Amino acid sequence: MKPFLVIASILITLTLGSNALAKDYGKPLRLTEQVKISDILDNPDNFIGKRVQVAGMIIEVCAKRGCWVYLSSDRPYEKIQIKVVDGEIVFPMTASGHMGTVEGTVEQLAMSKEKAIEYRRHLAEEKGQPFDPSTVTGDERIIRIHAVGAIVED
Amino acid sequence: MPWEPSLKTKGRQKTKWRKWNNIIHRDLGYLCVGLTMIYAISGIAVNHIADWNPNYRLERLTSSINPAPLNGLPYQQLVAAILAAVGENRPLVDSFSPQPGQIQLFIKGNTISVNLKTGAVVQEKSMPRKGLHQMNFLHLNHAKKLWTWFADLYALALFFLALTGMFVLRGKKGITGRGAWLTGAGVGLPLFFLWLYM
Repeated sequence: MKPFLVIASILITLTLGSNALAKDYGKPLRLTEQVKISDILDNPDNFIGKRVQVAGMIIEVCAKRGCWVYLSSDRPYEKIQIKVVDGEIVFPMTASGHMGTVEGTVEQLAMSKEKAIEYRRHLAEEKGQPFDPSTVTGDERIIRIHAVGAIVED
Repeated sequence: MPWEPSLKTKGRQKTKWRKWNNIIHRDLGYLCVGLTMIYAISGIAVNHIADWNPNYRLERLTSSINPAPLNGLPYQQLVAAILAAVGENRPLVDSFSPQPGQIQLFIKGNTISVNLKTGAVVQEKSMPRKGLHQMNFLHLNHAKKLWTWFADLYALALFFLALTGMFVLRGKKGITGRGAWLTGAGVGLPLFFLWLYM
């Protein structure tokens, strides 16, 4: 019986213990230089389709699937959405308030007003928050980063 | 003249083969009990993710505080005053200002948003669902790394569990009798849904 208990303890320690609060997510970061989030938001056309590495504070996490976070910009009151493929990277709710470094491709979502309302409603549902459609006033162009890897600092 | 096994020897070989089949089936079954229960419970939980959050219990509390005493306070005192006003005594992780006159305070499991002009406070609390959060963590392979290989082994074990399960019994209740119908139904049902929805 003893060997079973030892193996079970090792497996539980290795899997739950080390990864429940894992710092690395997805693929390893390979870029050596970071881009300012404010630069991406100021000149998105220069970055769309390009792989970038950005850093900022994680200020919001998808509560349902952990499939997106918002990173604060280097400029006050600004943020950018970081989207990941569902299940490939799962950000924990405990990441809020921690610094994150993310690598991925800049992409844009061009949406009609109706699509934007649908999108914002979906986001609010994932956050468990109420949604007011009147906050969407017209077509929207959302710049976000489709991330493949991230590091969340403790 | 080539040697031919007698009926008695053939019977013994058959028995030996089935004996090992049943031993493997039994022991794999014991081994898989824990993970099968975890996968089954988590499976039902995440199947209905559109209707609920299987990982966290979310709570949104709105309240208000008197904003006047907060006016002009240095950052540390401002944070301390807000935390005291909302009764939060856990340590602050960090803070962010989403708009002028607004501040968000991040505590583990709680995000406190305060409008410094009106004093309106929104607390978004998230508590991991005990047990289920850990089961989903394993089932959905959030752990990655070594767990991926362990889960592959478990899948392989399930494959052999199913395979050996078909040959546990002989006769009317075995794979040549009732077993054939039940196995057929188990294969046919997913095919039916594929035909229905694809």
